[in-house]
Amino acid sequence: MALEIQLEERKSKVELVRKDKNFVEILVDGRLYKLDIIMVEEGVYSIIHDNKSYNVELIEGENSKKYIVNTLFKSFNIEIVDAETRYQLSRNRNLLGDDESTISSPMPGKIVRIPVKVGDKVEAGDTVIIVSAMKMESEYKTGKAGIIKEIHVREGDTIDGHQPLISIE
Amino acid sequence: MIKKVLVANRGEIAVRIMRSCREMGIRTVAVFSDADRTSLHVRYADEAYHIGPSPSSDSYLSIEKIIRVAKQSGADSIHPGYGFLSENPEFVKRCGRAGIIFIGPTAHAMSIMGDKITARDTMINAGIPVVPGTKEAIHNEKTALKFIQETGFPVIIKAAAGGGGKGMRIVTERSNVTAKLRAARSEALNAFGDDSVYIEKYLEFPHHIEFQILADKYGNVLHLYERECSVQRRHQKIIEETPSPFITPELRERMGQIAVNAARSVRYEGAGTIEFLVDKDRNYYFLEMNTRLQVEHPITERVVGIDLVKEQIKIASGEKLTIKQKNIRQTGHAVECRIYAEDPERNFLPSPGLIKHITNPTGLGIRCDGYVYEGYEIPIHYDPMISKLIVWAENRNEAIKRMKRALYEYKITGIKTSITFLSRVMDIPEFIEGNYNTHILDNNRDLLKSRDQRCDILCEDIAIIAAYIDYTDKLNKLKPFRQDRSNGNSHWKGYGRKRNSVRI
Repeated sequence: MALEIQLEERKSKVELVRKDKNFVEILVDGRLYKLDIIMVEEGVYSIIHDNKSYNVELIEGENSKKYIVNTLFKSFNIEIVDAETRYQLSRNRNLLGDDESTISSPMPGKIVRIPVKVGDKVEAGDTVIIVSAMKMESEYKTGKAGIIKEIHVREGDTIDGHQPLISIE
Repeated sequence: MIKKVLVANRGEIAVRIMRSCREMGIRTVAVFSDADRTSLHVRYADEAYHIGPSPSSDSYLSIEKIIRVAKQSGADSIHPGYGFLSENPEFVKRCGRAGIIFIGPTAHAMSIMGDKITARDTMINAGIPVVPGTKEAIHNEKTALKFIQETGFPVIIKAAAGGGGKGMRIVTERSNVTAKLRAARSEALNAFGDDSVYIEKYLEFPHHIEFQILADKYGNVLHLYERECSVQRRHQKIIEETPSPFITPELRERMGQIAVNAARSVRYEGAGTIEFLVDKDRNYYFLEMNTRLQVEHPITERVVGIDLVKEQIKIASGEKLTIKQKNIRQTGHAVECRIYAEDPERNFLPSPGLIKHITNPTGLGIRCDGYVYEGYEIPIHYDPMISKLIVWAENRNEAIKRMKRALYEYKITGIKTSITFLSRVMDIPEFIEGNYNTHILDNNRDLLKSRDQRCDILCEDIAIIAAYIDYTDKLNKLKPFRQDRSNGNSHWKGYGRKRNSVRI
């Protein structure tokens, strides 16, 4: 199966050539890799390539197609881009339009304060929501000027990571 | 002797205290909030009592509830750990009134050391050096210049009502004094509605060095040498070591004696820490006293061979210190790294969440004080520290290599941690040479970020392949069972099926 996989900004085409148990031949952007890959523990892969040993850990993101992948030195956001994802991306783009953006927090936490209300005009750089997690408060600012369209949460609410908090038009 | 200890804390420190209790044959009582039902300290203790909702103000900070549980459970004493109620003199008094032993100093000593200005005055009276500064607010340039003439540049102007870096100005030369003083005063006025400022000598390239103290109820005071705590981010320690590579044996002797005197001056009891700032010319100044067990106490334990929690319990039970100062020696070298649930690549943003998998480092010279386990969800309500990794070796050089090895072995998945960041600190030349001060992380910002060059296209491809395999395997698992068997490529599944039937 050929898949398009996005690593941060980089898009790659990946195609499996052969697979025999944990021995895999695979093409990444035309480069052929012959390697031995095996899941040794939940979310942790041991990979041997050219007799070099790599440990890669995968943390599933907000859905099954998104990963945070940790190699020894670097952590990447990786996303599987299949037909469904492409469709959703284009659909979201149409839905949101260019003039709407949503503020969310990458971490779970608790809403401390929302200094704006629906209908408020905000400038780029204005703080719109303050989230606290583990004794630390983080202020979230808008990237561009606009009008607060919707506030999805209330002060004191407990939130999940990546949950939409405030929509700005 | 104390027979039953209520540990008024959570996380790694609660577990660490209970470990010593267990060795001493003392029963332990845990308290927990809603968020901590599955926390390790609850599982480790002999008894556990629910004390309320997740926010610490309604649970771990509730004096009322904790005293009630102590009475209900028949605990004769309370160990406060660090943080929460550990430095609250009111709590100490309430324990006393309820007839429960507080494992720590008296409320009196705690109050004196808890107030910065009183502590400073007490130290000056005891002949202990403090950072030179004006005692009162400065209103005109004349007084400012007079002070500066006495101490020399650089100085720092601080708002008397201050905090948060507002109204702070560092002055390095004479021509700047007037302008900076004016700026500081106007900023202070805007921020706090009060334009009074005071001036302190500004220590360049300061080291943060602290001395561990033990004192019994009979006036015997010991010091257990120093800890170098200069590796800090956001004024919070992240790596500590002992002995300090910076101070000389003579200075160590002298500072140890000063620390003992400081503890004596407030008739201190129990374990405590005297913190000093040491400038580049090795002048030292009292900073503050922590009247509790410190996070970084294990490195001292490892190097001097004394269990500090056991000593705390013995002192609180009214026993005399049996150790003699002349018999306390530092053997080898110990380093501690604090592992936080945070994302160093996003300005150390906290990263609570579910621990999917964890591999603790093991082997020669490793101690890992933690409280998380596979499947545990780190709550959002408390401190992001998840464990402390402590290594010991014959000498400093070997200890650093061992720490790097241990960090390499340490794997936690499911959340972001500071493990990789810490291992990069171990590579900073200043750190390896032992020639660093509190500016070390700022000075090496680029080096700490330089990981990009270290993951080339091959390394990226490997990450992509892992994601590909994981995703396609996941898809295959979702397919109907029959199909799975027909292509017959999964021996693991076959093995799993066999194992399941065997188990039944």
